[in-house]
Amino acid sequence: MLDISKLERRWLKYKIKRSVPYIFLITTGIIFSVTIMWLYSDNHQPKKSVTASKTLPITIKAAVLPGDTHSENTMLLEPSMQFMQSIEIPAEVIPSSTSLKKSIATSPRPAVPSPPVSTVQTPKVPIPLSKSTQPIIKGKLTSIKRDDATFDIHELEERFKNNSNPNLGLYIARYHYDHANYSEAYNYALKTNALNTTLDESWLIFAKSLVKLGKTDQAKKTLQLYISNSNSESAKNFLDTLNKESSK
Amino acid sequence: MEHLLFSKPRDLFIDIVNPKDYVQIDSVSHMYQSLKTSVQKPLKMILLYGRPGTGKSMLLHKLHHDLSKDQKVFMIDIPIIDENDFLRVLAHKIYSYASRESLTLTRFLELSAAVNFSIIPIVLLDEAQLYSADVMEKIRLISDARALKFVITLHKTDNEDIIAKEHFQTRIWESIELQNASYEELKIYIQKKLLKSNCFDVANMVNDKNIKLITKLTKGNYREANKLMFALFSLYAWYEEHHPSKIKYNTLNTKWIEMAAIHTGLIRA
Ligand SMILES: Nc1ncnc2c1ncn2[C@@H]1O[C@H](COP(=O)(O)OP(=O)(O)O)[C@@H](O)[C@H]1O
Ligand SMILES: [Mg+2]
Repeated sequence: MLDISKLERRWLKYKIKRSVPYIFLITTGIIFSVTIMWLYSDNHQPKKSVTASKTLPITIKAAVLPGDTHSENTMLLEPSMQFMQSIEIPAEVIPSSTSLKKSIATSPRPAVPSPPVSTVQTPKVPIPLSKSTQPIIKGKLTSIKRDDATFDIHELEERFKNNSNPNLGLYIARYHYDHANYSEAYNYALKTNALNTTLDESWLIFAKSLVKLGKTDQAKKTLQLYISNSNSESAKNFLDTLNKESSK
Repeated sequence: MEHLLFSKPRDLFIDIVNPKDYVQIDSVSHMYQSLKTSVQKPLKMILLYGRPGTGKSMLLHKLHHDLSKDQKVFMIDIPIIDENDFLRVLAHKIYSYASRESLTLTRFLELSAAVNFSIIPIVLLDEAQLYSADVMEKIRLISDARALKFVITLHKTDNEDIIAKEHFQTRIWESIELQNASYEELKIYIQKKLLKSNCFDVANMVNDKNIKLITKLTKGNYREANKLMFALFSLYAWYEEHHPSKIKYNTLNTKWIEMAAIHTGLIRA
């Protein structure tokens, strides 16, 4: 079987071996620049440092999220009606126990726009062969569209309806969030939170979707609620970020 | 050890070919559809080629599985190396003709003429690079006589252009080349495999960065990817048993992926 400690040693050797060229490059770089600087200062030419950075006044426009002006006192954490109709999980389904304790959820993932969908690939059809008496039928597979969307999320959603597995719910929520379907991400994260209240990442996706949907206040309230129950570091961090952004 | 969270995903990546485990990947599905239409055409020989580990055997088994519902299909997945045995085994399988001696080609064609199939039977030959030129010539003559149709798979190697081989020159009717998976395809392959078996929690751990590394290490080869994932989840299962606190459940551990790659020989260290 696996000899873990031996593997660990080999891995370390590999890492060191790989970093040797970098270390070498960096040291030569340092030596080189030190030499240059030394020669330069030897010239006694007090040229004004050219490199003095021109500090441009950079204004960063904070992304101000719309829709937060009027105060919303009620916490409206409900999935859309459509969603409720489509999902209807049988009442007797008991949330399956999760064997996983997620410690720290991943840092906020940026919304990934779905990749360009028409990567056309042309499989090589061998060159027509000389002596053949019959026509060569070329495969009709000359253009193949690759589309990430064919990853069958609907099938997974069907399965979620039936098995109510929170890990699957989280998977679907993440998928929708990554594909910028924030309202679906919101719906699934909410459902997942109901099935398992301890999945950090699901709460984060839920809150982030709210932000994307322009409901930052609700996102904050949700996070506060969750933090009071869980002490989640990642939730705290995200709440801090939100507070900082809105105070700008 | 079987109760472990990681033993199930580990076993998903055992390198075996079972059509029930077939995963739909866009480009592969296209090839498969085209293969399926090709075998219905009055073609005689279809060639499926590509590097080892690109899924040729998988496609062939899938074809066997799907076609055998409606017609006579015969799979020869382990090449019959003894040349004199080849026709005898075929005759036995297809025409239920039992003989202790080897058959001549003429006798074989007589047999086939005597049996009338409404649809020409299909013979699937895996690993056809292992057959001699002599056997390939027999195959050619049998398909020319329209006694049988053949779908054969061939390994493509760097130093040998199989298409140039003489016995394929005139007789290939359609050929399909399988290739290694792209990053997107490998992502779909790994995710679908995990999700199909309800390994949702583990599927949640696999992120894009992990897949990038895995694609880089395996060059998108399905067999290499299987070996790597198997080793990786073996590592996880080991840690789960001995140092569960070391496992982070929000991502696959890069170091462990590299360790698995060292173990399978993808990284030399
Ligand atoms: N479409 C697919 N779905 C599921 N598994 C696949 C698929 N393509 C390849 N594999 C797996 O990858 C491995 C290598 O494929 P295989 O067909 O044996 O390659 P080849 O015959 O080209 O060497 C096998 O374990 C196979 O199960
Ligand atoms: Mg094979």
